[in-house]
Amino acid sequence: MAVPLLDPAKLQLVQELEIEMMSDMYNRLVSACHRKCIPVKYHEPELGKGESVCLDRCVAKYLDVHERIGKKLSNMSQGEAEADLTKINLQDKK
Amino acid sequence: MTEADQIKTFKDFLVQYNKLSELCFNDCIHDFTSRNLRPSEDKCTVNCMEKYLRTNQRVSQRFHEFQMVANENMLALAQKSGNPS
Repeated sequence: MAVPLLDPAKLQLVQELEIEMMSDMYNRLVSACHRKCIPVKYHEPELGKGESVCLDRCVAKYLDVHERIGKKLSNMSQGEAEADLTKINLQDKK
Repeated sequence: MTEADQIKTFKDFLVQYNKLSELCFNDCIHDFTSRNLRPSEDKCTVNCMEKYLRTNQRVSQRFHEFQMVANENMLALAQKSGNPS
């Protein structure tokens, strides 16, 4: 995504926000995959084979969904920006 | 590491601690006919905690692997668009 103003203070703010967002996403990822892959019966402390495989796939799928939604969202906001631009252009022509 | 970073790390740890207590309490404790933890409940909570930490460890490994691949792809893409040879 384009950052319109590149003055250092704002850039740092954007970077901090990005890191915060990343760690929030990571925490949600751990919670979601734990909920979906680990049964509530805690008979042993080790991860079982099936649980481990489930976690691996869960992470891959979660990140896949995250990326897809990100692309969809940026497409949508881009489409909106373009629609606004054409609107402005049309108004200018009148 | 600055003081602000250390405070942030400590805060993250406390949040994690509370989350883990809540999760393992909800998953392991269902019986309130006694005020003491039963051995089975104690075992369940300890296993719950260890398992969660291992889960976190594994997810973290996979997450970083994906992160590395994504970074390499970005770098390759930037180099490609930077000098079109």
